[in-house]
Amino acid sequence: MGERIAFAIAAAGALGCAAGVVTLSNPFRAAVSLIGTLLSVAVLFLLAAAPFAAAIQVIVYAGAIVVLFLFVIAYLGERPPRIGPDPMGRWAFLMATGVGVLVALGLIGLLRSHLPGMRAAFAEAGDIGSPRAIGMAFVDTHSLVFEATSLVLLIAALGAVLLARRAVLGERGR
Amino acid sequence: MGISLMYYLLVSGGLFALGLLGVLIRRNPLLLLLSVELMLNGANVALIGFSRHWNSTDGQVFALVVMVVAAAEVVIGLGLIVAVFRQRIALDVDGMDHLKG
Repeated sequence: MGERIAFAIAAAGALGCAAGVVTLSNPFRAAVSLIGTLLSVAVLFLLAAAPFAAAIQVIVYAGAIVVLFLFVIAYLGERPPRIGPDPMGRWAFLMATGVGVLVALGLIGLLRSHLPGMRAAFAEAGDIGSPRAIGMAFVDTHSLVFEATSLVLLIAALGAVLLARRAVLGERGR
Repeated sequence: MGISLMYYLLVSGGLFALGLLGVLIRRNPLLLLLSVELMLNGANVALIGFSRHWNSTDGQVFALVVMVVAAAEVVIGLGLIVAVFRQRIALDVDGMDHLKG
């Protein structure tokens, strides 16, 4: 029962803060709202026997990525005035209707699906989420993925440096 | 009373739908990136839930790889936003509709 209460609180926090990310017009507030979602999702990870993923979620996501966001928001400062009067994009209502239809279809699919054991409580978990299990999985079965990950990060860093360099050069040319 | 896979999929779908809505209706590229993070987190919740359901580590490994891709995506996305901002262009994705080399 306690598990269920914790799950309900975390799920409500995740979805509520996500609604804040989508609706708040101030980017700073939206980023802080995203932190709430990320921490709630970390609690969901903990409840699903994934302590290592939860720790990475808090350290890398809430700790590094959102701080990067906040840094850029502070760096950009006051934005130039918008062109149009409406804060949402064109056809916002149409888009919202489309997403609503998608959600309805997904709900129907979920409620009608017959995946074995989907509605039953989780069975007792083995050692699937400890740092040891994750590390063994990375070096044993997923070593290629592990190497590809380092390549992705390297390319991202190179791309960011190139982008910054071109931006600086473009400014000097004027 | 425990938790079932159903609840995880419901939360995952909700997060993904909210993120999709944000990507479609927001005009500020920064908020667009934040919404993409929401969608990635929705996918991660489903991955972790399935990993718990099948009692296997693979879903968690996949979720960690998704986090790495998210970090790379944020670095490039924020780099692009800063580059656009330095060209004195208003931060509005509806206005960015020209591509020029």
